[in-house]
Amino acid sequence: MRMLALFIGLCLVFLFVWERVDIVRVGYQVERLKAEKVRLERERDQLRVKFSALSAPDRIAKMATEQLGMVPPQKGQVIMVQARPAGESHPHAAPAEVRIARNDLSSWGR
Amino acid sequence: MAAPLSRGRRYVTLLLLLCGFGVVLFRLATLQVLQAAELTVKADRQHQKTVSLEGVRGTIVDRHGKMLAMNLEVPSVFGVPTAIESPARTARSLSPVLRVRADELERKLRQDRGFVWLARKLDPEQGRQLERMPMEGIGVVLEGRRFYPKGPLLSHVLGFAGMDGEGLEGIERRYESHLHGEKRVTVLQRDALGRTVFPKELSSEQSPAPGHRLVLTIDEVIQYIVEKELEEAVARAAAKSGTMIVMDPSTGAVLASAVSPRFDPNAVSALGPDRWRNRALTDTYEPGSTMKAILAAAVIEERVMKPETLVFGEQGRMAVANTTIHDHEKLGWLSFAQVIQKSSNIGAAKAGMALGEQRLYRYLQSFGFGERTEIDLPGEAAGLLKQPRAWERRTLASISMGQEIGVTPMQMVSAVAAIANGGVLMRPYIVSEIRDAQGQALKEVLPHVKRRVISPETARTVTTILESVVTDGTGGKAAIAGFRVAGKTGTAQKIDSHTRRYSASQFVSSFVGYVPANNPRLAMIVVIDEPRGESWGGTVAAPVFNCVGERVLNYLGVSSNEAVKLAMASGKP
Repeated sequence: MRMLALFIGLCLVFLFVWERVDIVRVGYQVERLKAEKVRLERERDQLRVKFSALSAPDRIAKMATEQLGMVPPQKGQVIMVQARPAGESHPHAAPAEVRIARNDLSSWGR
Repeated sequence: MAAPLSRGRRYVTLLLLLCGFGVVLFRLATLQVLQAAELTVKADRQHQKTVSLEGVRGTIVDRHGKMLAMNLEVPSVFGVPTAIESPARTARSLSPVLRVRADELERKLRQDRGFVWLARKLDPEQGRQLERMPMEGIGVVLEGRRFYPKGPLLSHVLGFAGMDGEGLEGIERRYESHLHGEKRVTVLQRDALGRTVFPKELSSEQSPAPGHRLVLTIDEVIQYIVEKELEEAVARAAAKSGTMIVMDPSTGAVLASAVSPRFDPNAVSALGPDRWRNRALTDTYEPGSTMKAILAAAVIEERVMKPETLVFGEQGRMAVANTTIHDHEKLGWLSFAQVIQKSSNIGAAKAGMALGEQRLYRYLQSFGFGERTEIDLPGEAAGLLKQPRAWERRTLASISMGQEIGVTPMQMVSAVAAIANGGVLMRPYIVSEIRDAQGQALKEVLPHVKRRVISPETARTVTTILESVVTDGTGGKAAIAGFRVAGKTGTAQKIDSHTRRYSASQFVSSFVGYVPANNPRLAMIVVIDEPRGESWGGTVAAPVFNCVGERVLNYLGVSSNEAVKLAMASGKP
């Protein structure tokens, strides 16, 4: 009986010690993961800034004109018209806006 | 077999043991009871680490969520001079990475101090290079740095944040209380190696809340169009500076606001206020003939004149209070509408005199001159509008043609936007929403009506007159094919700072108006300061209105009535 009590007592002591050690071990693990999370968040933010800088209108316009040879539409080349969406039959339905681009005003309607 | 101890020896041994235990007990009592409080504090200091944490500064985005300003954690490098063996060698190694001269670094590393900053808030790439070259006595800490990924875009509105992350100008300053992150002190447990083991209290481990996210009314693409066209116009005219604002007249939302020359808020340390102040709000100027649009609204609302009322142009010269008012051409009889259309100073002066001091002053006040527009940006000037009792004999005539009154571009575009908005003056605003870091809306800014300044009928009449300025008057170059444009040109002489009189060579050329006149979507002002050569508002500022208006209407997908007619006539949609 006494031996059993001693055994249970020892088990409890080991359990207590194991619990404390494990708490410390998990604590280190948590810290490592937190550091990793912070690192990844930092990397995400850096990529966000990079993406924003790369998508700046200034840069896109410069690339379009200098590298791809594009030019802004000249006066009269873009005309906005109101049109009824396909399948829309109601006469008072709100008109949808569509964009029509063309190169030469004189060729309109041919 | 050992002989038993004598009684005397037993007592001595017992006494020694008791003394030993007594000493131990005394020491224990001293440590555990008498010095308990002091030692507990000491132990805590060794095992615990108190860190001051600050939440990340909030981001600023445009109306479509495009990033305009955000924080990044970047490396700052410090040195411990007492721990460095060869300052010269260390300085030579660090110099190319930090991009600081080696002799300057060496001077810092030779200081008799325990800590010295070598370079702060470097680029992330520099941080990665430093990680690959560990050095004794050199340390790296991470600090928050503000980044403006679009460079100079919207710089005068965004402003900038200082080295310690506090907003110093623009939106950064005005919304500092929302943008800065929460500051919190947290206690962490550390082991013998100084590693963090586990938080003492889980609740205190929660990260401090980041700052709020600001959603602007600005549209990045419209802003780009405005900045590009304005910059080209300022360069073309070899002008000192330029300002342009685009506003939604029905809400007062500012869609774009630009000042030329621009600056890069990522590298602001070398620049002075002259480069970064937002002239659209801080600088007042005499508006010149653009003020005639406001005069027309007051005169017609008060039924002092109708558009067809005839006014004699005095053949281009009229004496007022011992001075002479000139027109740019000799004009005879013209209708009041033509007075505005041809921008006759004499006609405007006569209309102003017919209206009277008190009524003109009341309308100017009502349109928002002489008071701040209350836009949510710092540094706004109230302009200059004297009380009628301080007016001199010529002042009534002068104000009628836009002299002796100081306005900001924001005031002028707001006033004209009120005409576009059927006579209702809106408060201009630039932040439309404030969200927390999770994206939950904390505050939504709704359009704010300040007051009705004229009736809808008067607004329609004035619009017709302002349309004629573009179709038949001085503002022809503002005309946009397929759209009805209403506006007014202005060419104001500046005061020469030496002679204190109106300069014959320094002008402020401007154009203010709205489009489409029948259903206004954009109210815009262009102000070009001191253009060289041709300086009429109609030739310097009106073309900018035209270019920006055409491109922005296309971008917004606003359809033209004429295009519909054209498309219907061609038989193709």
